[in-house]
Parts: sequence; C-alpha cells; structure tokens
Amino acid sequence: MLSQPLTLGFFSKAIVHIDGDAFFASCEQSLNPTLKGKPVVTGKERGIASSMSYEAKARGVTRGMRLFEIKKICPDAVILPSDYETYSLLSQRLYSIVRRYTPDVEEYGIDECFADLTGLRRIYRMSYESMAEKIKQELDSELGFTFSIGLAPNKVIAKVASKWKKPSGLTIIPGRLIHQYLQNLPVEKIWGIGGQTAAFLNKHGIRLALDFARQNELWVKALLSKPFYEIWQELNGKFIFPIDTSKKIVYRSIQKMKTFTPASSDRDFVFAQLSQNLENACMKARRYKLAAREVLIFLRTQGFDDVGLKIRLSRPNAHPHEIMKAITPLFNHIFKSETFYRATCVTLLQLDEIKVVQLTLFDSPLTVEKWNEIYQNVDELRDKYGKHSVFLGSSLLAHQARQHEGERGMLPERREVTLKGETKRKRLGIPMFMGDIAW
Amino acid sequence: MPTYTEIMQIIGYKSRNSVFKLVNKLADLHYLEKDSSGRIIPGRLFHAVKILGIVEAGFPSAAEEELIDTISIDEFLISNKEATYMLKVSGDSMKDAGILPGDIVLVERGLEAKDGDIAIAKVDGEWTMKYFRKTGGKAYLEPANEKYKPIHPRESLVIAAVVRAVIRKYRC
Repeated sequence: MLSQPLTLGFFSKAIVHIDGDAFFASCEQSLNPTLKGKPVVTGKERGIASSMSYEAKARGVTRGMRLFEIKKICPDAVILPSDYETYSLLSQRLYSIVRRYTPDVEEYGIDECFADLTGLRRIYRMSYESMAEKIKQELDSELGFTFSIGLAPNKVIAKVASKWKKPSGLTIIPGRLIHQYLQNLPVEKIWGIGGQTAAFLNKHGIRLALDFARQNELWVKALLSKPFYEIWQELNGKFIFPIDTSKKIVYRSIQKMKTFTPASSDRDFVFAQLSQNLENACMKARRYKLAAREVLIFLRTQGFDDVGLKIRLSRPNAHPHEIMKAITPLFNHIFKSETFYRATCVTLLQLDEIKVVQLTLFDSPLTVEKWNEIYQNVDELRDKYGKHSVFLGSSLLAHQARQHEGERGMLPERREVTLKGETKRKRLGIPMFMGDIAW
Repeated sequence: MPTYTEIMQIIGYKSRNSVFKLVNKLADLHYLEKDSSGRIIPGRLFHAVKILGIVEAGFPSAAEEELIDTISIDEFLISNKEATYMLKVSGDSMKDAGILPGDIVLVERGLEAKDGDIAIAKVDGEWTMKYFRKTGGKAYLEPANEKYKPIHPRESLVIAAVVRAVIRKYRC
C-alpha cells in the first residue's frame, strides 16, 4: 500500500514553483558583501522581523519576532530597514528570467512564481529537469543569491517540491513518485490547507498528506468543500489549478497601515496618522479607478492589541474628506485616552470600478463632479511633486513628525544615495551594490 | 520609360520615325540614353535633377523604418538587463583606466571574467574594482594607479561581476 503510486504518469504537465530563499535578507546580502555570512534581519521600520537570513534562522530568529527579542537571542544580528524598492526590482528580474523560458508565468508573490513548461522539451531539446536546472542556475548567478525550485505535474505538488529542500534546492517529483514525498508530510504543510481544515482532518485520523491523498473520492467530496476536493485531486497527480498569467492589479481591498515610534496617546496625533493612511489608501484606489463601499479602521495599542470597527458608506467613494466624516465617530468610539497606540490602519473594502456611481437622494451631482475634478488635480500634483505636497489638514501632524524617532527611522542605504540627476522621489531602476568599497 | 509606340500615342505623332527623331535629339542633350537593345532609359541629367529635388524640398520626415535600426542608450550600455547592477565608485585605484571617484559603473553578474576585464571582486568582505589578470592559470587583481599594489589572493578569487560601462554625468 505504501509503495503504491498515486498516479502512473511522469509529467502530464510540467509545472515549476520557484521560491527565493530568505528573499529580502538575501537581496541585502547579495548587494552588500559585508553582510555575507552574517545573521541579517529586515523589517527594522516595522519593529518586527519580516525576513531573516539563514544565519539568523539558525540562531532562532523567526518571522514576526520583535526586535528587542532578536537582540536578546542574537546580539550580533544586523537589523536593516526594508528597502522595498530594491526588492521589487529584483522580483521583476526573477519573473523576467523565468519568462526567457516560458510566457506562462504566474507572479504569485514578490519572492515566488509558478511557471508552466509543458510542451517545451522539443524546442529547447532538453528535459523538464534540465530546464528547471538551467532556470535555477541563471537565477542564482544573475541575481547573486539562491532559489529553491520544485518541478511537478501540478501547482500543489510543485509547492511541496520547492519546499522539500531549502535553501538552494532543486526537487523533481514526477507523478509516479508523489506518494514518496507525501508519506511523512503533515497534512497542514500542503498549500491551501489551513489550521481549521487540518484540525478537521486530524479528527478523522488523517494526519499525513498521503493519508489524505488516499482517502476515498466520495468521502472527500461529501465532507469537504470544493477547493479541498481540488487539492485532493492535485495530490493525486491531476492538474486542476491553472497558471494565472494576468498581472495582479485587481484589488479586492486596499490596506494602508503605518507604525510609528514612539507610541502615542495624543488623540490628534493618532487621528492624523489614521487620516494619512486614509488619504493614501484613497489615492491608490483612485489610481486603479476603484471606489470603496466599506471602510475598516483599527488602532493597534502598544501592547499589540487591535481594536477596530467597520462602516458601510452610502455610495462607493474614494474621496478621503467624505470618508473622514464617516470614520471620525468610529475613531472617537475606539480611541481611549491614557492608552498608547503604535499603529493605525485603514482598509477600503468591497471595491467597485468607478463607472457611473448611483447617487443617493441627498447627493448633488454637481458637487460630486466638482470633487472628482479636485481630486484629479490633487493626484496630478502628488504625482509631480510627491505624496506629501498636498494633503488634508487632518493629516498635518502625521506629516510633521518623522514616522519613527530614533534608530527605527533609519532609511535603507540606497535611499541615502542620490545620484546626479536623481531626486529624492525618482531613482534609477537598477539595483545598486552597497557597502564599503575598498580601493 | 514609355516605348516608342506609347510616346507616339501620347504626343499624337503619326509615325514611330518622328518619335525616333525626338528621342535622338533628347539623347544628344543627355536627357535620355539608349540601352543595348535601343530602348530608352533616363539619362544622367534626370538623376542630377532628382538629387537637387531632395535638397530643395528639405529633408523628408524621418520614416518609421529608418528608426527601427537604432538602439536606446539603455540598450547601448546594458547587455543583460536582469543581470546588470550599478556601483558608485569611491577611491582612485582605477584612475588610469579613466574611472574616477563619483562615477557610476554598470556591472554584469554571471559573466566569466577574462584577462583585461575590469572586475568587481569580493576581498575581505568588501567590494573592490580592479583589472582582472590571469597569467599561467594564476589570477590576480591589478589597480590602474601606481600608488597601489596588485592584489594576489591567498585563497580563491571571488569575482562578483564584470564592468560593462562607466557613466559620468557632468550637468543635470
């Protein structure tokens, strides 16, 4: 039973999953040789680790760990502010290199993608295994850090493969060997199976991925919802989840959250932070021609407690001064004086395309039209002169303060360099080697 | 060019012989020439007129096809976009190679350094930019400034990238 394959084929489809190893920290290490071999942690501006190098992982640093804890367990850790601009440049390069081989690339995350190599063996005169190997070799050498690659007949198994050996792994799972990789793998390690589903499966005595894969089809269909039936099919070697090559610009929600240090109990200051987040979220919504039907706000206290409230708007809206009227009472309701807050967050939900907006009985079409025009001009000004050129008075206090006092306010090293012809806002789109340069 | 018969019909002559005389007259004046089989072809005066015509009319607007074969400054400086990085130069160890402090060099990863390339190498956890030299299987780094000595690596030499181009901007 154990050695019986789940499917007899090898690669009915050839799907690769490519995953950058400790992506943000590796970007930093690849550009700055003084960081090589050291425990590097990014996320300084957020106060928590967002990525850590393998040296830091070996010392017990985990994602989300707070900085003071990191300093305790790993005093020599190099903690850096995130340089999202550079990470994004390198992320684009990851996709471009994979696209040298196939146009079917799904940009699944900043540090990972799926690609479909099916049918390319003849034109490249090489096996799928060699193609995966060549992609890995080009990524490693041109980006200067390692990637882990999994090749399998579908996305779920490709994910298992890329995680099988990390860092710098190349794991190939043909259909007929899937069972060997699932036999000791806890079911919650499967992509798409969360804690709830794992707990449910555990109740039925299913702890390992192979147990789940060998469950009777009718049982799976009867007890689980469609996405899990689809995962079950992929575990059995079928190809169900397509590669989504569309650019991900469809937003279901837009969230803007900012942490500030030191924490503050000043009502006006905390409100200004919220107001600034709202303005930025609305600006992004307008850029994608979207308007929100619902708005969620929350405040995070110094002790990491989140208090939030949601409100429904009378019509889809992306004008911060109008939404402000709706969220001010919510803020007053959740803000407690004497409490110190460290972050505010605004989420625009139920986004609709701005087409013809149905006005309510009390809206004046002329006023709405006028505000559309005003915000169009505001957006143009902000595009030209920077995000901080025009803002609502309610955001003033947030603009005046540096986001982080003290060391957490440190900018990424690349931001400290302005080349001739660059401005604070516009830099050359080529990653820069950093660190000390010896003569 | 039209045939004798066609010219006859165009002008309204009754015979081809009249056309023959006209053609001979034009040929004497070099407006026309005759080829080996006697058919008329434009004389060199037509070519001269044509060239003058272009000058008189000014330059024609740049046709799209003429621009197909041009490259942008990006393409000129960068060979492999995904593997290209920049480095801001500090120090004067490459001054005799024309690379000065403050210059930006465009470097490419994943290339094998050849003797005579300017390379970015990792030495004691720092970047350094030097000539890459390889003689008799031995690789070392050579500065372009007599103030500094060549670097002979004790262990293996790690070349991170090879310099493709230097950018120096004088005025914004």
